[in-house]
Amino acid sequence: MKRPRLLGLVLKNLVSKPATIQYPRVKTPVELDFRGVQYADLGKCTGCSLCAIECPADAIKMTPIPPEYEVPKTNPRRIYPLINYGKCVFCYRCVKVCPTNAYIATNKYDIAGVSRLTSEAFSLTTLRRVGS
Amino acid sequence: MGVTKIVEISVVTAEIPVGPQHPALHEPLLLKVYAEGEEVVKVEVNTGYNHRGIERLCERNTFYRDIFIVGRVCGICNAVHTNCYVRALEQLLDLHPNRRAQYLRVLAMELERVHSHMLINAVMAEIVGFETLFMQIMLDREKVMKAKEILTGSRVMADYVMVGGVRRDIDEEKRQRIRELLLKLGPRIEYYRKVFEEDETIVKRLVGVGRISYGEATSHSLVGPVARGSGVKIDSRVSDKYDAYGEIPFNLVTRSEGDSWARMMVRWDEALESIEMSIYILEHLPSDGDPVPDERRLPRRFPPGEAYTRVEAQRGELTYYVMSDGKGQNPYRVKIRTPSFNNIINSAFMYIGHSLADVPVILASLDPCISCMERVTVIDLEKNTRYRLDLKQLAGGKP
Amino acid sequence: MGVVDKHSLLESFSVGRGVVKPSRKLYIVEPGNVRRVFEALIEKFGYGGFYLSTIVGTDLKDEGRIRLDYYIVLLPEEETVVLRTFIPRENPVIDSLVDILPGALSGECETHDLLGVVFRGNPFLKRGFFAPRDLVEKGEYPLRKDSGV
Repeated sequence: MKRPRLLGLVLKNLVSKPATIQYPRVKTPVELDFRGVQYADLGKCTGCSLCAIECPADAIKMTPIPPEYEVPKTNPRRIYPLINYGKCVFCYRCVKVCPTNAYIATNKYDIAGVSRLTSEAFSLTTLRRVGS
Repeated sequence: MGVTKIVEISVVTAEIPVGPQHPALHEPLLLKVYAEGEEVVKVEVNTGYNHRGIERLCERNTFYRDIFIVGRVCGICNAVHTNCYVRALEQLLDLHPNRRAQYLRVLAMELERVHSHMLINAVMAEIVGFETLFMQIMLDREKVMKAKEILTGSRVMADYVMVGGVRRDIDEEKRQRIRELLLKLGPRIEYYRKVFEEDETIVKRLVGVGRISYGEATSHSLVGPVARGSGVKIDSRVSDKYDAYGEIPFNLVTRSEGDSWARMMVRWDEALESIEMSIYILEHLPSDGDPVPDERRLPRRFPPGEAYTRVEAQRGELTYYVMSDGKGQNPYRVKIRTPSFNNIINSAFMYIGHSLADVPVILASLDPCISCMERVTVIDLEKNTRYRLDLKQLAGGKP
Repeated sequence: MGVVDKHSLLESFSVGRGVVKPSRKLYIVEPGNVRRVFEALIEKFGYGGFYLSTIVGTDLKDEGRIRLDYYIVLLPEEETVVLRTFIPRENPVIDSLVDILPGALSGECETHDLLGVVFRGNPFLKRGFFAPRDLVEKGEYPLRKDSGV
């Protein structure tokens, strides 16, 4: 019987380091422009709802901004896009159709967890609280 | 002493269900195999385990939202699905993307072809019991996944094609990185091709199994590497010359053996061709303007008309028929015919005469993609409680 | 036997012409003639001369009829042509091709299950091929415009 062609490769792998990444302990390297979590910069958002209309997964819901935040005058209805990341398919349609380029794109991908994750915490940090 | 009694067991036909959940199949499909002893005498293909209703969903959503919905017909071939649908829309609108955008589209599709062909060859190695080879191929497949991540921004779901162009451009640094990854990957694929050519395990399990002739392939409407493995010269890239395929040199790969082994070898050769094409694209990328259209300024109204586009997906000819009645924002009819739809349902004849152990091998040699095959209805059924699940609710998790 | 012969054969059956973008030639035939066209294609050019790519059924509710498009790819030129026919919506029956052309199986089964077209002579037709059980029990065809799905 012929020596199997794969044998050399197998022996080499026996002495080399594992190729797998121990994910939660070691982060998977991703590109800087990887399509990760995106959220609206409420300093620019005008509450026009176009992203919510265009979203193919209906993951965006226009939500009132809590009264303790200062809202720019360009957003008279005081609403902002709340993204439910459980529904989101990360196609970045919202980022591309936004008329004021209000979306901030990040390459954050490790969002798995036990609680329901939305863009509320991300978006509201872009606003100032009243009086602060 | 000696034999005192002889019990004669008459040959009866046993019905053996292979699937929908079965260790040899990775996706839900039921092959009802009728066997006499070890020999398969009849196979019925039962479908409907994974139906999601994409065609109806497309009729109820706008043209632009559909671009992302059709991309989710199948994960492995999402760029070709989007490309085919988008080109149908461009035909309706009479829009032509510039050359740079066309080259980048081809690049995304060819990278996808490489990783898909590596995947099915790895799965085939696993099915014949060669797990080491499976692991090795999957390890090298990471290179092309990385290349796709650099190009499109995501490892699998490209969402790369948009009406009038593509959704992101590449710069010089990205171009070099993708090229280096591909230059490293090429020798690896040649190596695995040799393994498939020479290795005893592979050759003994694949050669002569599931042989189909030229006439059988055409009369059963088999497409893609399955038909090309039987010497049928069909390739939409050659005949339709869509996007930049008219300008990029490549060879049409066919083999004459017609068995499972020939189909896998066609896939390896095509993967090598794809790598050469990708490198050609990266070296000859034209720069005639911005390939990224402004998605805010795309036409919102679609004139009435109908378009039928074909694209050579990894598994064969993929066709989209899009009809617009010019009245609303939604298409009137979207018909998707995926290659697996023909290749799986029409291929029941191929199993006959082979032994039971060959059934998974033949099925894997067709590169079955169940999610491609089943798309059309909206409702799911769990036990006896009935409720409707559409894409929105599926994504939300709560009905 | 060039592609011209094939076109002239299709033309001899057609009652109307048209084009589906991008420049796919369209021949409209009577529903009773569809099977005859395929018989003639097989007789003249053999199984290696073409393949049936797909069957597209469309419910034209306002016109009260169902449109069936047979997309045929002519080999070896690999040119796609369309054979179009219309059948009434109330009684959508057409002759099956599955006994002369096994490749029609997938398309006919799907069109029957989702649109309710009956292909006369196809023994493999069944509901529930793709559609789930509750729709089958209600006797509804999901791709019809008034199915409520």
